[in-house]
Amino acid sequence: MQNLRKLVQIGFFLLFIILFLKARYPYEFSMGSDFGLRLSPLIPVFTFIETLSFPPLVIPGLIILLLTPFLGRFFCSWVCPLGTCLDATDHLIKTPKNRNAQRWDKLRFLKFANLIALVILAIFSVNLWGYLDPLSIFNRMLTVILYPLATLFTEKSLLVLSEISILETPAYYLFDLFKDNVMPEAQAHYQQVLLIALFSGAILAGEKLSRRFWCRYVCPAGALLGFMSQSRFYERLVGEECPACNMCISECKMDAIPGDDVSKTNKVECIECFNCGAACPPKTKAITYRWRWKPYHTQLDMSRRQVLTSMVSGVAGVGLLSIGLPNRNHERQMIRPPGSLAEAEFQDKCIRCLECVRICESNGGCLQPDAIHSSLTQLWLPAAHMRTGYCEYNCNLCAEVCPTDAIQPITLEEKQNWVMGEAYFREDLCIPFARDEDCIVCEEHCPTPDKAIKFELKLVQLPNGESQELKMPYVVPALCIGCGICEFKCPIVGKAGIFVTKAIDETSEMTYYS
Amino acid sequence: MKRREFLKTSALGTMAMSLPLSRWQLFAQETSLPHAAFVKNGDPESLVMNAIQALGGMERFIQKGDKVLLKPNIGWDRSPELAANTNPEVVATLTTLCFAAGASEVKVLDRTCNEPQRCYRNSGIADAAAAKDAEIVQVRKNRYVEMPLNGKVLKSWPIYKDYLEADKVINIPIAKHHGMAKVTLGLKNLMGVMGGRRGSLHVNFAEKMADITQHIMPTLTVIDAYRMLMANGPSGGNPDDVRLVRTLIASPCTVSADVLGLELFGHSLSDTEQIKVAVERGLALYDTQNLDVARIDLA
Repeated sequence: MQNLRKLVQIGFFLLFIILFLKARYPYEFSMGSDFGLRLSPLIPVFTFIETLSFPPLVIPGLIILLLTPFLGRFFCSWVCPLGTCLDATDHLIKTPKNRNAQRWDKLRFLKFANLIALVILAIFSVNLWGYLDPLSIFNRMLTVILYPLATLFTEKSLLVLSEISILETPAYYLFDLFKDNVMPEAQAHYQQVLLIALFSGAILAGEKLSRRFWCRYVCPAGALLGFMSQSRFYERLVGEECPACNMCISECKMDAIPGDDVSKTNKVECIECFNCGAACPPKTKAITYRWRWKPYHTQLDMSRRQVLTSMVSGVAGVGLLSIGLPNRNHERQMIRPPGSLAEAEFQDKCIRCLECVRICESNGGCLQPDAIHSSLTQLWLPAAHMRTGYCEYNCNLCAEVCPTDAIQPITLEEKQNWVMGEAYFREDLCIPFARDEDCIVCEEHCPTPDKAIKFELKLVQLPNGESQELKMPYVVPALCIGCGICEFKCPIVGKAGIFVTKAIDETSEMTYYS
Repeated sequence: MKRREFLKTSALGTMAMSLPLSRWQLFAQETSLPHAAFVKNGDPESLVMNAIQALGGMERFIQKGDKVLLKPNIGWDRSPELAANTNPEVVATLTTLCFAAGASEVKVLDRTCNEPQRCYRNSGIADAAAAKDAEIVQVRKNRYVEMPLNGKVLKSWPIYKDYLEADKVINIPIAKHHGMAKVTLGLKNLMGVMGGRRGSLHVNFAEKMADITQHIMPTLTVIDAYRMLMANGPSGGNPDDVRLVRTLIASPCTVSADVLGLELFGHSLSDTEQIKVAVERGLALYDTQNLDVARIDLA
């Protein structure tokens, strides 16, 4: 069984990697890249809290949830790619043995506390659970850290090889092959790299404290699945012949076998990795697994006081996140992808998985993980940065990959009419205004069929007394969709002579969450 | 700058500066062949065939074993019907003709304005040219060579290496409206092999373009005017701005081809600063006021 588990685990890991790599233009992969992320068991729960319904997008997660009472926390060791990463980290850094990691054991309640606090926050419409969603963490790490690093090293080493004359042709052949199939045409670089690296690095570094530290003590998805598998119908039986060698205890990823009774299993913690069966000495083979319709029940590792404390901290969190002073100067910097829900709703639905950022980088590369402008909840939401990249007119891929439909799946035609921002000239920088010279690169690139940037011919008096006819650009607000190609292509070094701000939604008052 | 790069650059530079015009151009005007061909009322393939034939056949331009580079306009993520990019059939036909004339390889490339893979694909050019065995080359940032110009305004500018290394180059613009330059034809199309921040060329555009293009004039320029974009250029996007003109101009001289191309828009030389400056600075091979044009009507 352990071998089967390993096989499935690697299979799912590869599936997640393939889905990630396939999330690029032209995106003709029949299985949508959002499918993988939708396997998260947290999505159905929090979607239900948010909408009081189960839209079709929750089906993959719901299947995982429905299997859990029968199979236990199988998701954690068979499916979850973050779990696989943690198992891999075990081999890299020396993880302490279970008996040496006992002192953390009293923290088991922490994951339930996390889950309860996140649920309470969600009820008050503050959705922070995406930060702790394991699939989201994995995708974020892949998008912002691992993939750009892999691109960097592959590109650089192939270019170095191409300097050697006999290797030039094969190196460029490989280079083009990678570019066309795996690597982005132009790798985007991201802000927030440091913070995301620290965040995911800390999770991996937890392996130095105990095996699967994240899964045992922190993960809210693990808490949810553990809660549902208290009386699971699949059990580990230990036969009479057991010599109590305790091999299974030390091999258990979750330390779910109590030290004083090898025949018991902590069902809340067991993730069905089947390490125990494989560790059982071949001579005895005392451990077998079986369906049992009258299972025994395992208590959640959590006291009433801890439940109360986590509820209070959840409520306090709602308060703290709602009473900060919004900085009105930043309100129009947070340009969301085309198709996004209104800001308040968007922040509720978005799980910060950065899949949209990932697919954007195969095109214009304008989406970035956002910084904290005035509230913690803005962290790592996708935001368009037009100076780094621009929104491709013919592209609606971000809308196609969003696992929670925070970016609505709009059609290309809808996208082309979607006003994500408004362009304004900075006349103190813009070349024709500031320097009396022709330029209008912005007008050249403006993609709307009837150009949103137009120009008028103006006779300008030059400082030397001569007059010259200049092309003075201007924006037609009714035509501008805020794609930002003007800001991106502006030839001025540094701050551009034209910039895009978030489109104003006249119907909603821009407040803290909107 | 690395030593190797420096040597390469200076070698190319010396070569470029030792010639009054680019190395690809025909210098001997011994033939009695026309200066340009102006073919109308045909489908893309027959337009190309007739134009090249009128100029003396592809063998006049391409010798056996030549490495040829085709430079169509693939600048925009637009379908062929929107006339923002060169007609794919024109590129395909020229590819076939080059191989028939004995070319050992035909490369197709352009530095695009929108995302390159989108442009190559949606313009239809990558598929059409690859079907005729052309090599579709994606432009890579590290493959530009700084070219010394000693021009009026610019001292040097990066040019794409594959372009400089080719034995013969064919420039295949599409005739389009352009906000800043008024029209975009053969000369403007050469921007697609220029590196650096091209946007900055827009300031004092005509002189800068003359500075660069005088060193990189192609062997042959084929202006595709099968469909023409008449407004909202160069990116276009509105089918109503596209006119089916079914015309094609070809000439060994890019400036002469451009001057002829102005006819299509009803512009005169004085309307387009860039082409006017090119003529004034003597970049034309022929006397543009007295061009010997083979006018062919296929109707």
